[in-house]
Amino acid sequence: MATELKVKDLHKFFGRKQVLNGVDFTVETGHIAALVGPNGAGKSTIMKAILGLITTNGGEVTIAGHAVSITSHQELDNVGALIEYPGIYPFLTGRQHLDLFVTGTKAVKKAKIDWVVQAMQMGGYIDTKAKSYSLGMKQKLGIAQALLNRPKLVILDEPMNGLDPQAVKNLRDVIVSLAKGGTTFLISSHILSELEKLADTVLMLNGGRIVQQTTMHELQNAGTKVFTIHTVDDEGARAALINQGIQILPGNKTIAIALTEEDSLDKALRALINVNVTITGVNQVKHDLEGSFLDMIKSGEAK
Amino acid sequence: MGTLIKQELFKLVHKKGTWIGAALIVLVQFGIAALAKMQGKIFGPADMFQSTFLGTSMTLFVLIASTASIVSMEFQYGTVKQLLYRKFYRSQVFLSKVCVVVLHMLALFALELAVTFAIKFAIFPQVDLAAKYMGTPAWQYLLIGQGGEILTALLLLSFVLLMSTLFKTNAAAIACGYVGYFLISMASTLLLMVIARWHWVKWNPFTMLMLPQQLQSPDIAKATYLSNPEMIGGLVVYTVVFTLIAYLSFRKRNV
Repeated sequence: MATELKVKDLHKFFGRKQVLNGVDFTVETGHIAALVGPNGAGKSTIMKAILGLITTNGGEVTIAGHAVSITSHQELDNVGALIEYPGIYPFLTGRQHLDLFVTGTKAVKKAKIDWVVQAMQMGGYIDTKAKSYSLGMKQKLGIAQALLNRPKLVILDEPMNGLDPQAVKNLRDVIVSLAKGGTTFLISSHILSELEKLADTVLMLNGGRIVQQTTMHELQNAGTKVFTIHTVDDEGARAALINQGIQILPGNKTIAIALTEEDSLDKALRALINVNVTITGVNQVKHDLEGSFLDMIKSGEAK
Repeated sequence: MGTLIKQELFKLVHKKGTWIGAALIVLVQFGIAALAKMQGKIFGPADMFQSTFLGTSMTLFVLIASTASIVSMEFQYGTVKQLLYRKFYRSQVFLSKVCVVVLHMLALFALELAVTFAIKFAIFPQVDLAAKYMGTPAWQYLLIGQGGEILTALLLLSFVLLMSTLFKTNAAAIACGYVGYFLISMASTLLLMVIARWHWVKWNPFTMLMLPQQLQSPDIAKATYLSNPEMIGGLVVYTVVFTLIAYLSFRKRNV
């Protein structure tokens, strides 16, 4: 698969403070990449550098193989973005905002506007002045402007800000559907549970560097496999497992065991069956984005 | 570049303030015309016609406000990022704004002049356009003054544009523009006294703003110590310098 976005050894100082310290990552065409990191880690700065909005102190950004910088903007014709907060002219209606930035022939322009209004479910207020919009309505308009011209690469900084659960679900569906059609996304958000549902690629940013680039699948299946076992008699089950020398993971209300050997789960289940404990369920615990994120922060602090 | 100018015009046309400003110019002109009609001895129609029934002053007043907001509003509304992350460069975005300022200026001068002549023909047919006014036919005297006003407006607006790139809100830029404008209106006599004492002071930008008066009354050259070409040259140089500094300031601003 082709690489849509490549960031190589990106450095950025604000005064004496180094915000980006050799950022490296790539995003494949049609992938949804989640950029996660603590506050002040440099997420918005990376996005601004990709968009040629700020100068950098070294490094390279390429979009579809073409270099982008503050003095080289041609490739940005195929990019849509929402950075930090939506820029809204209060004296224009939502539709006028779209009219302002839409490109193409008259028929194409109309089709693009109709599509994005429908996709973002903005029909009810698209013709009212933006000064009366709520935070969520402004956010939707900002996203609509980013998606309007069907760019190949879309960069969204905290797109779920101010959106209600229905709007978040709707946005997720739109993003997934566009990605299936080949649009590449780079998204940052603090709502990790939402990113988890969307992302193919996870970019963990800490201390001005990408400390981990992985796929969502790898992240969820990383490390030792852990299983939870649900029974009708947890006390009896615990005793039976301890008797057989099977280690139960501490700190869990339910019985959790680590798959330290290939047959660890098999041994545990046999031990329970042997003492006639009724097993009601067995689940594999998946590593989630939040857990990985918190681990990353902890390891950063430990260093 | 055409796209950018179209987008800037789109915003200008959809701003209520643009139309309120234009309406204000016309209203004040008709108000002054009504005064001249009722109090002809105090507000002589021929003099009022030459002062475009205050149309020029109002035009500058409106243009200062409009120019001040053309850059600063993008920072105030947070829209500057979406202007700059496209295939266009900052220089092009800035230049499109300068073009729209100039177009807006020309449109408003055309409006106030059209209204001036409309008032003259509809309300004051007795004002003779061919009659000598300060030794020059009235219509010619008016147009020479307007030419000078347009050039000085360019200088004033380049300064306001510079202010609007320096401040985060347009209120500060508007205030600077108005203070500069009213300062020169009030302090020109004082300035001429200073120039009489130290001739080199004549090269300051405020002297250039006296161009309309000097074009209409060549005797003023004796007080400004500048010929008309020198004054026009100085005005153009200051306009270009202010616009360039405004661009550099716009280019350096963090978004």
